[in-house]
Amino acid sequence: MNYNLNQAPEKVNGKRSVFASLRKLYGIISGERRNLNRAFLAIFINAGLNLMGPYLVGYTIDTHIQVKNYHGVLLFAGILLAMYVTAYFVNHAQMRMMGGIGQRMLFGLRNSVFNKLQELPLAFFNQNKAGDLISRINNDTDRVNQFFSQSLMQFIGSLITMTGAGIILLILNLPLGLAALSPALFLFIFTRLISPWIRRKNEASLKSLGNLSAEIQESLSNFRVVVTFNRRDYFRKRFQVANQENYRQSVRAGIANNMLTPIYTFAANVGQLIVLSLGIYLIIKGKFTVGLLISFIAYIMNFYNPLRQMAGLWASFQMALAAWDRISHLLSFESNLAYMDDPKDIKSDSYIHFNNVSFSYPDGKEVLHKVSFDLQRGKTYAFVGPTGGGKTTTASLIARLYDATTGTILLDGKDIRSYSACERASRIGLILQDPLLFSGTIRDNILYGNPECSGLNTHQLEKELENAKLLPLLEQFDQGLDTPVMLGDDGISLGQKQLIAFIRAILRKPDLLILDEATANIDTVTEQHLEEILTNLPGSTTRVIIAHRLNTIENADEIFFVNSGEIIAAGSFKEALDLLMHGRIES
Amino acid sequence: MQKRIKGEKGKSKKGPGLFSVLKPYKGIVTVLIIMALLGSSINLLIPKIIAGGIDAFTSGNFEIRGIITKFLLAATGIFIFTFLQNIIQTLTAEKVAKELRYKLAEKISRQTYTYILKSNPSKILTNLTSDMDSVKMFVSMAFVNIISSLFVIIGAAALLISINWRLALAVLVIVPVIGTAFFIVLRKVRVIFRKSREVIDSLNKIINESILGSALIRVLNSQQPESQKFLEKNIVSRDLGLTIVRLFSVLVPTIMFVSNLAVVIILALGGHYVVNGTLSLGNFAAFNSYLIMLIFPIMMIGFMSNIIASATASYGRIKLVLDQPDPVDTGSIHSDIQGNIVMRNIGLTYGDKPVLQGISLDIKAGSKTAIIGPTAAGKSQLLYLLTNLIPPDEGSIEIDGVSIEKYAKEVFHRHIGFVFQDSVVFNVSLRENIAFSENVTEESLKKAIETAELSDFIETLPDKLDTMVSERGTSLSGGQKQRIMLARALALDPKILLLDDFTSRVDRQTENKILCNIQANYPDLTLLSISQKIAPIRHFDQIILLMKGEVVATGKHKELLDSSPEYNQIYSSQRSTQHYEL
Repeated sequence: MNYNLNQAPEKVNGKRSVFASLRKLYGIISGERRNLNRAFLAIFINAGLNLMGPYLVGYTIDTHIQVKNYHGVLLFAGILLAMYVTAYFVNHAQMRMMGGIGQRMLFGLRNSVFNKLQELPLAFFNQNKAGDLISRINNDTDRVNQFFSQSLMQFIGSLITMTGAGIILLILNLPLGLAALSPALFLFIFTRLISPWIRRKNEASLKSLGNLSAEIQESLSNFRVVVTFNRRDYFRKRFQVANQENYRQSVRAGIANNMLTPIYTFAANVGQLIVLSLGIYLIIKGKFTVGLLISFIAYIMNFYNPLRQMAGLWASFQMALAAWDRISHLLSFESNLAYMDDPKDIKSDSYIHFNNVSFSYPDGKEVLHKVSFDLQRGKTYAFVGPTGGGKTTTASLIARLYDATTGTILLDGKDIRSYSACERASRIGLILQDPLLFSGTIRDNILYGNPECSGLNTHQLEKELENAKLLPLLEQFDQGLDTPVMLGDDGISLGQKQLIAFIRAILRKPDLLILDEATANIDTVTEQHLEEILTNLPGSTTRVIIAHRLNTIENADEIFFVNSGEIIAAGSFKEALDLLMHGRIES
Repeated sequence: MQKRIKGEKGKSKKGPGLFSVLKPYKGIVTVLIIMALLGSSINLLIPKIIAGGIDAFTSGNFEIRGIITKFLLAATGIFIFTFLQNIIQTLTAEKVAKELRYKLAEKISRQTYTYILKSNPSKILTNLTSDMDSVKMFVSMAFVNIISSLFVIIGAAALLISINWRLALAVLVIVPVIGTAFFIVLRKVRVIFRKSREVIDSLNKIINESILGSALIRVLNSQQPESQKFLEKNIVSRDLGLTIVRLFSVLVPTIMFVSNLAVVIILALGGHYVVNGTLSLGNFAAFNSYLIMLIFPIMMIGFMSNIIASATASYGRIKLVLDQPDPVDTGSIHSDIQGNIVMRNIGLTYGDKPVLQGISLDIKAGSKTAIIGPTAAGKSQLLYLLTNLIPPDEGSIEIDGVSIEKYAKEVFHRHIGFVFQDSVVFNVSLRENIAFSENVTEESLKKAIETAELSDFIETLPDKLDTMVSERGTSLSGGQKQRIMLARALALDPKILLLDDFTSRVDRQTENKILCNIQANYPDLTLLSISQKIAPIRHFDQIILLMKGEVVATGKHKELLDSSPEYNQIYSSQRSTQHYEL
């Protein structure tokens, strides 16, 4: 399954429709519908009130100023004031509501994307860069938010003001109104044509930002190699390339975004000119009054000013759409590890049964070819073989990090795909090659993902540890359970991290425990303790050990030799050794 | 009273700071401002042209052609200036961002390893992305818009005064009222912006851990707690955002109301003046137009204030990193290294925990030394000290009799090859990964690949050495990554090779071959290897037993067997398989 975000998504119908994107986005904020309606109402009222202003002024001029009735002027000034006070409260309500909607939408979007990441299988993470994912979750969502919480309000307000002004213009004097609005028609067509181009430029710009993030992220994670090989310039050079590309794309997007405003301004000015010249002509013909002309000019400005504002916002809208596309691309992925509802009941006594399993990674290389074997309950197995032969792959398949390309894997008689993730995770424990610890204390880490034990207090926890013979291991840490740990920290050694991962796995009491070179960096003396701990596990626990160290696998009941896509049962320890020493090397 | 003074002091420290971003671009910014001002001035003329037209009409000498010409000239002028202004503005903003980013990246590339660890890579990522965006928005939108808005406000005010100063003053009283409102709100908002950036740092960190730990999370089915972690921080971010919304939802309507108040004033007072004949109708219309023209930039400044607050907070964070003093490079010696290493009384503490104490070692050039010991004995740290990745807290390290700090960096790192315990590969081709150091010749590359037993593996790849390695090396097995790291170190043709538990991920057969290869291809190499297993290092010239940060015993294998009980303990834990070892 192709999970690469930077490869073009399958376009369902040629051009991506703006409305389809909007509809999907609306789906996310559907809970806000009532608030949105209220906010729209407020925007409507606010725009309406602001529109009435110039009309009232024009009316006052004609009916009171021109006839020198000052009392009438004061009256209308009072009405105007009352209107504006109302507008204040409405405006406040509108901003607060829209801003609130925007923030909640940003919150929801971020959660959706993060949770989607959790849903997707391991294959997704192998095909994408960390920095790019971070950029989508933080930056791209913020772009959508910026439009929503800031621009959308102005956009709608401008739209309403503009529409209202346009209608009033047409009512006041139809021919003059039409003439004054004609530049707007041209603008509409022009914008329609140019928008897809603007959107594409914005997309390219966001993509380059994602790449820049990825570059930074990688170099910072690998900083110690950069230092010890004196390649600080490597970081600088790679960064500069990504930086330069980002600059190029951003400039293009910036120019595209700023295309509209000067053109709209020009059209606005032309509109005013039309009003002035044509209006005076109409006055001469007796079909128009000066007061109306002054109103008209004010309304024309109330039409074209918001229109100009919208031009600027339209670009912001295109950027938000581009950002939203990137996000929805991610959201459209589904996990390829489907849950199988109705498994065929194949009779099998063994705990794990591989039936003609073949597996290739997405990049094509076949790692396992028609492999079949059984693992019985309670026995200890060793998987040995040259590096790259398929041992870790086999372990990943048992833990269902991937699904087999062909063939079936049975867990306790049922297809492994018919188990819920929760149940499978509680039955199968896998200690990975690279121990991963999260920021927190050792206690946080050994209890991580262990819902049964998370409620235990220190005393109970220590009892659990003692029962499993794990307590002595904690003496290697100066503050025991409370020793702090940080991801990427050098404060504790790799061997110590492996110990913590070991404790974590044992505490979960799995039915099947796989150790994938899990003790490779632990000294052999401590390793003997670990052996005892493993022997102390309940008799029904199946153990699978992948290791290079011979003394680690010495006591296995059965040894499997994994190489070149095949898994062969090696009879005795000596036979296994022979295969190891003189067998074909894959890697 | 106290609070306000502090606030003002804070403002003056940060205010000019943000504007100093533009100092190197003084020339282009000036051009930009001139263009914006020209465009705005012409814009200001338009109501005057309209007023002139109306007045000419009412007084009976209306000349349409002249008006149309003036108008069109003005409109075209505005178009050209605005268009050019926008292009230059975009270019400038992007340039500022690009160069500031590069400055920051360069600064970071010169820091020590410990600095990077301490200052938290997630925060650096935010600095280079989100914070930069804020500053960029400031340059591209806020800066010029504010200046031209100010200009329009001043211009419009001047024109208003020229028409009727009494009315103008009554109207212009709104400007200081608005200014005060801004000032108060902005001060509050700036703090909140800074806090919300810090939350973004945390969000980055959680996402990063989720990605790095993706395998573990799926094995343990712990997606729920991860989402919970993210949710908590996300809530904080949202609540900060809502606070900002609340503040601005008071500020902006207030500004609009005050502006609208001006309309009422014009109607009441201006109407009075028209009624008693001291103001012409045309000028009354002009007054209205200018007011609308005045309101727009005022609101513009309002919206920009949001951007300024955000940019100030961001720039503050960026400045913190930029002001970081560069680590002083005292190294200047360029002579070739032979490989005699002497450590005298080395001590290293981590926090308040002693990691290494009183370590003294003597390693002759060309010899093979092994370091063995229980988990967390401090073995890796010892090697880190040798490469000067971290400095010792006590004692000295000398190579060929010269303290390691005295060597010029390029020379030093060229002679020492380090293979880390956990694999580090880059998202570039295999060739670039291995020939990572500069000045790697084709021969050294070939020799290194053969020694690391990678030739066969590379042959199986479709693109051979040009195959791209994925980020974090997810397409390679543990053993393959380790061997690539070894080849990388060997490609230097180093005099000293430091191996940190190298063969832990490699099978016995390959391990033996590699050690033989090293002996054959790099005979004069000073080898220092941390090993858990005694078998491969049995014949080394010196074995150092390290426990709890102290040297417990040194000597050859046989000597240690005779004299050290701890060594014997380790030996016997491996003994059952000894006779299978070579």
